Amino acid sequence: MTQEPVTEEHRTVNADPTPSATDAAADKLRDVVADRETEGPTGNSTIFGLRGLTVYYADFRAVKEVTADIRENEITALIGPSGCGKSTVLRCFNRMNDLIETARVDGSLTYHGVDLYGKNVDPVEVRRRIGMVFQKPNPFPKSIYENVVYGPKIGGMKGNLDDIVEESLRKAVLWDEVKDKLDESGLALSGGQQQRLCIARAIATSPDVLLMDEPCSSLDPIATLRIEELMLELKQDYTIVIVTHNMQQAARVSDRTAFFTVDVSDDGQRTGKLVEFDVTNRLFTSPSKTETEDYITGRFG
Amino acid sequence: MDRPGDPMTDTRSHFHQELDQLEQTLIDVADRAEQMVGMAVEAFCELDLELANRVVELDSGIDDTYLATRERWLQLMARQQPMGGDLRMMAVLLQMAITLERTGDQAVNIAKMAQAAESLPPVEPMVDRIREMGDLVRNMIQAGIDSFVRRDIDEARLLPAMDEPVDRLNRNMYRQVVEAGPDRERLEYATKGLMVSRALERVGDQVVDIAEHVAFLITGEMGEFDESGI
Repeated sequence: MTQEPVTEEHRTVNADPTPSATDAAADKLRDVVADRETEGPTGNSTIFGLRGLTVYYADFRAVKEVTADIRENEITALIGPSGCGKSTVLRCFNRMNDLIETARVDGSLTYHGVDLYGKNVDPVEVRRRIGMVFQKPNPFPKSIYENVVYGPKIGGMKGNLDDIVEESLRKAVLWDEVKDKLDESGLALSGGQQQRLCIARAIATSPDVLLMDEPCSSLDPIATLRIEELMLELKQDYTIVIVTHNMQQAARVSDRTAFFTVDVSDDGQRTGKLVEFDVTNRLFTSPSKTETEDYITGRFG
Repeated sequence: MDRPGDPMTDTRSHFHQELDQLEQTLIDVADRAEQMVGMAVEAFCELDLELANRVVELDSGIDDTYLATRERWLQLMARQQPMGGDLRMMAVLLQMAITLERTGDQAVNIAKMAQAAESLPPVEPMVDRIREMGDLVRNMIQAGIDSFVRRDIDEARLLPAMDEPVDRLNRNMYRQVVEAGPDRERLEYATKGLMVSRALERVGDQVVDIAEHVAFLITGEMGEFDESGI
């Protein structure tokens, strides 16, 4: 008996798109919009927590006091003019800055709540979990197969390497193009294919984050769109943080965007800073900071 | 967003000049639309056929500008991919182009009523009320465009209150038909007057729509005003 009114209501709505049905659809749309604007595209939990993150190279302060939460299974884009510190911040996520002797990090950066720069943290393990794809495709001068299994091999990963190769290449949407020539050199591939090979190589170690430092800047527009499509596929399984000079790319692929800029002090010191971090939809339509507005509309000064 | 494009600091100054031109075009169209509404109302009230014909002619100019604006708008979207305030400006410019084109069409509807009523005897109380509505609507168009030109959200928020007497006059206009009496020709004139009233009421709503877009341009929040303009 209690079911009846519900069924009745259903029938009414289906039979006749009355104003109430239209209202319900409008309400639903409004909810979606509201979700986007408050919680963002997902209510996913924080994977990286940055609190007052400041990076020095010797006496030079490259970027100061960055506070932000990067969420799981989202694509976060870091944008801003040259020298704003976006790549510096990206390199902190997998401790690539460790490789620069004079680099020093202040503030805190957590990964799943664990201090990434803590004493007991092994940077090699960090880089296995947090992979990186660089600006220029950089396959090893080895076969396609060897490129993909390189990480699993040195990581001592058990399991069938053939399976890892196929799975990684499939995820990178490269498998169909290379499955018959796995023993050919990775360098024989086109630029876009090489970049997807690098993504496959990064995936092969089963990371949960992919960092991408301008991954499309050396690719043609078609190869660029392929990588962007791939990123949208990959975010089901991975968290992606991308540095890009291409605002339209950030707008097309990312869920959230962080806009960095450069502060110039009286004595000419240039320091990067985070100006605004928001849901991409909002940052590119109604940014809250004038500096962001000036940058995305091409007005400076 | 209203800063002039300075080529020294503005890396997209060419685009911003184009945006400014598009904005100026639409301000001019709004002025013309306002004049057309005034002329059309005058044509109906005075049964001035020449004036009515002039309104119909002017509308083809508005239509041409509308088509050219749309074409330019699409080109700018495709080539410039505007963001932030520029993107909101583009959204508002397109909406204004559409709305003003419709305003022109409403002026033509009124002018056609004037043409159709030419040989009919005017119903005097109705003429006064239509004149009043015409003045109110013209003031609304001016205020709406002013709020746009000055990016003045307070002025934009006045529009729903300005629209209220227009709506009220329109709601009560049917009485003029009832009171026109049994004379067939008077009744016919009054029916046409009712259509004019309806057209003016639509223009009032269209101006409120423009004001809502002005608010969106300024605040980034898209919404419909209620009667207090919030």
